[in-house]
Amino acid sequence: MAGRVFGLRSFGLKAIKGNHHIQSNNFSSEVKPPPQPPSFQQPPLSAPLPGLPKVQYSSVKDNDRNTQVTTLPNGLKVASENRFGSFCTVGVIIDSGSRYEKPYPSGVSHFLEKLAFNSTADYKNKDAISQTLEKIGGICDCLSSRDTFIYAASAATSGLDTVVKILGDVVLRPKFSEEEMNMARQTIQFELENYQMRPEQETLLMDMIHAAAYKDNTLGLPKLCPPASIGVINNNTLFTYLKNYYQPSNMVLAGVGVEHDKLVEAATKYFVDKEPIWCQDKNLVLTDKPVIDTSKAVYTGGFVKEECNIPTFAGTSGLPELSHVVIGLEGVSHQDTDFIPICVLNILMGGGGSFSAGGPGKGMYTRLYTNVLNRHHWMFSATAYNHAYSDTGLFCIHASAPPSNVKNVVDVIVKELVTMAGPISSDELSRAKKQLQSMLLMNLEARPAVFEDVGRQVLATGHRKRPSAYIEGIENVTADDIRRVASRLLTTQPAVAARGDLINFPTYEDIHYGIQNNGVLPRKGHTIVTIATQKERKTLKKKTH
Amino acid sequence: MQILKRCRATHASVAEKSVNVPSTQVTTIDNGLRVATEDSGAPTATVGIWIDAGSRYETDANNGVAHFLEHMAFKGTAKRSQTDLELEVENIGAHLNAYTSREQTVFYAKCLKQDVPKAVEILADIIQNSKLGQSEIERERGVILREMQEVETNLQEVVFDHLHASAFQATPLGNTILGPTENIKSLQRQDLQNYVNAFYQPSRMVLSGAGGVDHETLVKLAKEHFSNVKPVNTECPNVASATACRYTGSDVRVRDDSMPLAHVAIAVEGCGWENADNIPLMVANTLIGAWDRSQGSGSNNASRLASVAADQNCAHSFQSFNTCYKDTGLWGVYFVADRMKLEDMIFYVQNEWVRLCKTVPAAEVERAKNLLKSNMFLQLDGTTPVCEDIGRQILCYGRRVPLHELEARIDDVTVDDIHNVCTKYIWDRCPVIAAVGPTEQLPDYTWLRQNMYWIRF
Repeated sequence: MAGRVFGLRSFGLKAIKGNHHIQSNNFSSEVKPPPQPPSFQQPPLSAPLPGLPKVQYSSVKDNDRNTQVTTLPNGLKVASENRFGSFCTVGVIIDSGSRYEKPYPSGVSHFLEKLAFNSTADYKNKDAISQTLEKIGGICDCLSSRDTFIYAASAATSGLDTVVKILGDVVLRPKFSEEEMNMARQTIQFELENYQMRPEQETLLMDMIHAAAYKDNTLGLPKLCPPASIGVINNNTLFTYLKNYYQPSNMVLAGVGVEHDKLVEAATKYFVDKEPIWCQDKNLVLTDKPVIDTSKAVYTGGFVKEECNIPTFAGTSGLPELSHVVIGLEGVSHQDTDFIPICVLNILMGGGGSFSAGGPGKGMYTRLYTNVLNRHHWMFSATAYNHAYSDTGLFCIHASAPPSNVKNVVDVIVKELVTMAGPISSDELSRAKKQLQSMLLMNLEARPAVFEDVGRQVLATGHRKRPSAYIEGIENVTADDIRRVASRLLTTQPAVAARGDLINFPTYEDIHYGIQNNGVLPRKGHTIVTIATQKERKTLKKKTH
Repeated sequence: MQILKRCRATHASVAEKSVNVPSTQVTTIDNGLRVATEDSGAPTATVGIWIDAGSRYETDANNGVAHFLEHMAFKGTAKRSQTDLELEVENIGAHLNAYTSREQTVFYAKCLKQDVPKAVEILADIIQNSKLGQSEIERERGVILREMQEVETNLQEVVFDHLHASAFQATPLGNTILGPTENIKSLQRQDLQNYVNAFYQPSRMVLSGAGGVDHETLVKLAKEHFSNVKPVNTECPNVASATACRYTGSDVRVRDDSMPLAHVAIAVEGCGWENADNIPLMVANTLIGAWDRSQGSGSNNASRLASVAADQNCAHSFQSFNTCYKDTGLWGVYFVADRMKLEDMIFYVQNEWVRLCKTVPAAEVERAKNLLKSNMFLQLDGTTPVCEDIGRQILCYGRRVPLHELEARIDDVTVDDIHNVCTKYIWDRCPVIAAVGPTEQLPDYTWLRQNMYWIRF
């Protein structure tokens, strides 16, 4: 048979089709055909695999679950929620991040994020950790924001003890070997280069707008490691930082999809009974004196700009080079009574890209679409953001357009900011409220999102407010609330960040004037801006106003 | 018989397993439409229509029509204008979305649990009663052409389109989903209508739901809103039915030395959705893995190709893929590399393939199996991924493969299975290659073909 197939093939299928009685060449008949490897022995996926054990499917509806919180003797809070599914997400949330780097070289957090889940006292390298996790179907990740670090892992529920063991080691007993430090330096260098090469500007602009809003303090410190720090930071810097900020009272061990008692038991084993590495070896830290920044964030407002060429998107997209502008105002902290209204305002402003995928539901009737993107076709994107921290907040609009329109972008955004305190139709308010409610619940579909919510809330307040409390809070927001928070925003000094070709960009004073005067920028003030030659402009890089 | 024995051996110790997920319930209503749900009791839900229709059922003349229809769905129906539709969806905080692939057209809505009936009604309306207005059609041509420009900026998509064009040349699978510019400019209302009549048929559709969706309620909603869809005669002009798509080992190179990096895909013919060989092929795929430079040194990566790529600095990124269709597939690796590293990188890729066929050790296979399981299960978090999984599986397999069965199937794979199945699909097979960018250093086809087997290994 095999010989036949071979014969057919070599003569071409068409020629002999239908003539099966014709003898094919028999040149291979003397030779035994090579044994065919046995094929894979399962039935097709359309048919069930026989011999499976009977299973008991769980049925639904364990309704509103409560978060259990236990504080251990050393101050560590352990929080958990049980949940549907055979996987759990467990992690450590720490009050740490770039806002606390004042007494340290900037970039410590960036290093820590890159070095997360590397070698520890019990695991000889990153691979040892991945291999251990793989056996329990797990993955891990470290995320950091300006004021929070999260080390988390998801795995099969049966692997809980292992997960907590890894987390304890990663958080309290990292090694930071010289090889790993060098790798982190390289990765950070590469990442910084990459940000300069890519057309997406969000990460760079977020650092810039925070630097403008909180000049030289706390949240204004860069999240991206400045190139000058890369060679300065060593493992002793990192251990000193950890000793000061990674204290049990500064962290929460949170778990979703786990039994509380088991989580507490594991936490005691790996976070209480076993000491942090800097307590075992005092030589790791630079000084025993506390080096901690506990200052409150001071909102200053201000202007940070960088004149440069921004890379365009690859290929024949026809998309032009873009200039980016962010204008911010001081918002509110997540513990403020105006927090929920400001979130509704954020949704009401909405926005996005002028050409973005997705059908109805992406916020096509938010103000930045109806008033901005649909009206001004030169505008490439306009999006509202609301950053909330423990002691302050930053509300901003990010927009981009070709350089020739950069002044118009500022005009339009200032106008929209001022209009926020004006009349609000009941339709747009109820739509924004509904969208915020559904966004909240949809985000909480995924287990890692629930974990993060539990962890952040317990870290901030010691307990978790149920989603239903927020849903109700959103329901109660009125048009007056929105106007009140909008007016509150507009009394603050603006923070401005701009990046790209910034020819004819208005001055900070003009923008401030516009915000205080119905959104109209002065018409004569801007003659001070001279048109610099290309050569001069290159030397003007990163001028801070 | 052997199947039974092996499976029993694996699971003999487990009398009854408790899986902490809800079961998938499936009901076929009178006109042939299948309704499938997984009710997790969540406060939100995703419901969607999965249709056995896509660019593979098109001819050269109407290529692009399936995708065009997807665009027209949001442009209003007999009873709702476009604005009505948009506001209705936005006002309930829902999301409506759609996509077209080579074999499937999908419309889905994500909404609050209490809005499921409304979402199903809207989906039924846009699928059955799309207005297909002449002025909207004219306007949408521009939008699709702009989308085409957008696709062209994504070099990975460009390479995969070339890969299909080469591998499935002269068959509908070789065509793009968007279709050629001249079709986008010339398709008429009647072309769209013909396609709807032929392919938007109840027997080709699945109404899938996940999250806070009660099965009986969804079945009731399906009867209410979809019973008007009558099975229609398939004999419509200009519409091709699915014919077998022949695979051709071949290559296409679009050399452009002005580009900074080369983008290359190399693949062999894989198998169709239902084929059990898919399981070992997926394990093999996971074993090859994925990597990019931001992950730093590859020595910490489970994938050997990642360590080599990192240590030898011969690629910026790579990922393995296993694309399945009804009766065929493409299994391979896509990578981005410097112009002077192409020869090295493709050598290491083929080296890994030969290793898969003959010498890859059991430890690596075990690791890949674990990784594959974690990736699959962790991905099924949230109502939309689950809804998507249900819809796709019912179309592809005619049933939802229970998670524990999938787990058992993967557990069952031995190192010998990997060797055998990879030998069957890779060893001495004709590969297909697509490359875009500064491709001068990429070895010629004969050389690459020759490296699909080794005399010594």
